[in-house]
Amino acid sequence: MDIQSLSKKSKAILSQSDNLDSLEEAQRSLLGKSGEITSKLKELGSLPPEERKSAGKELNILKNSLQEIYQARKLELRRIEADKKLQEDSIDVSLPGRQRKKGSIHPVTQTIAEISSFFTSKGFSVASGPEAESDYYNFEALNIPADHPAKDMHDTFYLDNGDLLRTHTSPVQVRVMEENEPPLRIICPGRVYRKDSDLTHTPMFHQIEGLLIEEDASFSQLKGLLEDFISDFFGSDTDIRFRPSYFPFTEPSAEVDIKWKKGWLEILGCGMVHPNVLEMAGIDSKKFTGFAFGLGPERIAMLKHDIPDLRAFFENDIRFIKQF
Amino acid sequence: MQFSENWLKEFIDINISTEELCEQLTMLGLEVDGYEKYKSKITGDDSIIKLDITPNRGDCFSILGIAREVSALNGLKIKLPAEEKINETIESPIDVDICNESPRYIGRYVEGVDLKKKVSPLIIERLKLSDVRSIDPIVDITNYVLLETGQPLHAFDAKKIPNGLGVRLAKDKEEIELLDEQTLKLSRDCLVITDKSDPVALAGIMGGLDSGISSSTKSIYLESAFFKPEIIRGKARRYGLQTDASVRFERGVDYQLQSLAIERASQLIMNFMDCDFAPIQTFEIKKSIPKEKKISLDIQNVRKSLGVNIKDSEVKRILKSLGMKIELTKSDGKVLVCIPSWRFDISIEVDLVEEVARLIGYDKLPSSSLRSSNRKTVDSLNHNLISSLVSLGYNEVITYSFVDEKEALLFEEKDKMLFVQNPISQNMSVMRTSLLPGLLNTFSYNFNRGEESVKLFEIGSTFLKGKKIAQKEKLAGLVSGKVSDIHWCDENRAFDFFDIKGDLEVLLNQDYSFTNGKLPFLHPGKTALITTKNKEIGFVGALSPNISNSLDLKQDIYYFELSLDSLPQPHVRKYSKYSKFPIAQRDLAFLVDEQLPVSVILELAKKKAGKNLKEINLFDVYQGKGIPENKKSIAFSLFWQSMKGTLTDEEVDLIVEDISKYLSKEVKAELRSE
Repeated sequence: MDIQSLSKKSKAILSQSDNLDSLEEAQRSLLGKSGEITSKLKELGSLPPEERKSAGKELNILKNSLQEIYQARKLELRRIEADKKLQEDSIDVSLPGRQRKKGSIHPVTQTIAEISSFFTSKGFSVASGPEAESDYYNFEALNIPADHPAKDMHDTFYLDNGDLLRTHTSPVQVRVMEENEPPLRIICPGRVYRKDSDLTHTPMFHQIEGLLIEEDASFSQLKGLLEDFISDFFGSDTDIRFRPSYFPFTEPSAEVDIKWKKGWLEILGCGMVHPNVLEMAGIDSKKFTGFAFGLGPERIAMLKHDIPDLRAFFENDIRFIKQF
Repeated sequence: MQFSENWLKEFIDINISTEELCEQLTMLGLEVDGYEKYKSKITGDDSIIKLDITPNRGDCFSILGIAREVSALNGLKIKLPAEEKINETIESPIDVDICNESPRYIGRYVEGVDLKKKVSPLIIERLKLSDVRSIDPIVDITNYVLLETGQPLHAFDAKKIPNGLGVRLAKDKEEIELLDEQTLKLSRDCLVITDKSDPVALAGIMGGLDSGISSSTKSIYLESAFFKPEIIRGKARRYGLQTDASVRFERGVDYQLQSLAIERASQLIMNFMDCDFAPIQTFEIKKSIPKEKKISLDIQNVRKSLGVNIKDSEVKRILKSLGMKIELTKSDGKVLVCIPSWRFDISIEVDLVEEVARLIGYDKLPSSSLRSSNRKTVDSLNHNLISSLVSLGYNEVITYSFVDEKEALLFEEKDKMLFVQNPISQNMSVMRTSLLPGLLNTFSYNFNRGEESVKLFEIGSTFLKGKKIAQKEKLAGLVSGKVSDIHWCDENRAFDFFDIKGDLEVLLNQDYSFTNGKLPFLHPGKTALITTKNKEIGFVGALSPNISNSLDLKQDIYYFELSLDSLPQPHVRKYSKYSKFPIAQRDLAFLVDEQLPVSVILELAKKKAGKNLKEINLFDVYQGKGIPENKKSIAFSLFWQSMKGTLTDEEVDLIVEDISKYLSKEVKAELRSE
């Protein structure tokens, strides 16, 4: 066979191989130990010397070009094969993933944390106290003597050992004042209890009490602090109203309303700590003044998250709880 | 208190809209609950205004009191109804003995009343607008005067008190039958009106049945008395008898009001009934009548406490507008303020500060900033713990602190329980001794609504009775149902003990050990006590099937409860050195007695594994084919890493040999493979 037709035939074999195995096979049959080209090269010695040179040159050129073709074809076939593999490997990405369920924080806890974070940034520490309280800390030390009509505002649960369930978190401020020297800045979040149960009342709910005792605490500071809190929490465009109210343990006393969907809505009570309360807790009311405030996380959470029913907080329906 | 706006405007000449009036009242501290328009056939357009009066303002439980507030704010004068002279034609046959608790008692004897007559439609309308039912003309008039002036009046049938009246403290267990036909047993701290021997009225609260007026009554004795607030206080609540009179007396009725009120009532009677009036009779114990209060005020304190710049003269003007008198200005800048007889709520300087603040208007007072202070941490709110639980898939719940006695008894003995004396319902009568009942209820509530797989947690207090109540903060979790939703390629298995234990291991993240334990409400074979540094801090386990049966729970439940105060406190983390040399690993398998807890073997192995041990991981526990009876095979990997260099095979081999010898000696563990 002349070299030209050998070249044509071999090139076709290589470039027509359609998989790596047949390509290798073709390569071996041409360029392997006993391949056609290898054999031809071996046969060169038997040619007459004048033909040997030119035939050797042509054969070597052919060998090199076949090598190139082989390499190129090999790369191409590998790519094709890899593509095919990827095709086979592909998945339906629309199938659902393996979800690890995330839990949730109760909206009241979240609200308490959010409110606390504002006040801790203003230097208030978090304090706590017992929920089963004595009459002294819940009432008397807060300037609410026995039979005082203000007691009617608190429908109290009594315990069989003579204590009661605290009706507000204010007893904590008395305990903190007794145990610490002013200046003081504390907030006390916690559960409180009142014997009341209807659409808008649950027998247990939460309060956050705040207390500041300093040498020159003033009503204007109280106003400033609570205005800052409300604009921080509800947005700086919230309309706020302070109006006079009555708590036996503060004087002057105020309630704070915010404008909410057209009407005014009460969100917290506050006032300057009554001198009797300071004195009973062992603080010199001539030297120190203070203010206190109390707010209800449930009510604030209801506003913030548009929750229509207070009782949902304690029903703990997972479908409700998970939303927050 | 609710009232007709037109009635108020009779006392004060003010031309503002109902809305403005309500706004003024609210900003004065007399919170308007709402108002409704009313078309009156007698007075034209009117409104019913509803007020929420705070307990300190007994003086505002009347048209007169409310008018005083509005007049002070607007600088107007009060107009009192014109006084007409009563034609006194007869003498009173009644005599009243009084006591210190009733230091002023004014009465009037009236003859020839006719209870079949009707009072004017205006009176009936105004009573109705104040939500007071019309009964008979005399009661209607006493109620009208009560609403108008704030002075409770009472009318006795004069025929029924032939010996006159007395006021005294009740005798122990003395009985009285009241107008509402209930009989009370009194105690010595109750004030009663007597017919000189037996009680005929509970003073300041309710009249007695026997001495009351009826349709046949022809002569009456009107009472307008001042009873001391402290003797009336608490009694109405004690007997469940809140009346219009008691509400006012216990908050304090103006001690100068009695004669004005009885004259007003007499006039109203005279206006529609042809009666004979005796002169009013005044019985007094002067020394027991409250004295005019005088309070020293340092006006500087008003400015300081309110943070407001206000002139002395303005403070004085405000106080005068409220009926106070400024008696004298002392050289130290202090003034002496005389308090009107109707203001029982003002007794010290800060009370006057509030009066000034109210009249300036709280909304007009300035705001200022606090002295700056460092941010404090909120560690005590358990933020880290809660966020770990949330990432482990737990939903936080908040359940009531009181539970059903029957349920509580499943978990604690009765004598350790704290009972609520006046529970709101029987299923909320015991303070919880564990968070378990609440979480079980939450589980059932959700299970019954189709939410069968839950992970719940709660942080809250538990209560145990003792010399002092033991109130302990607990963290509890409940797990039940399937680990995941049905998935197209994964098994949908149920939670088991090791799921909840694994959560705790992640949560506690420290040296805590779990040892077999027994608790009456948990599965005896699936309960672990959790201890750290030899201190028990909680437990975890499967709920006992007995409890599940009695609560009708249809699914396995796993539960843990930890004492909150013994959990790791958040702290600033410090860097600790770690090795960058390669890790050496050996896998070991031992045959041991099947009763031997795995933790014991691991602890023993740890002991001999040397200081370079990094981790020990159990990867297989096997019993069955190829393992002798009463034995189990356990296999674990040990990982070592040195701070100083690469560990050689020889070093590690020595340690492994040590471990297997030690295990063989201590627990007869037999090395199976290495």
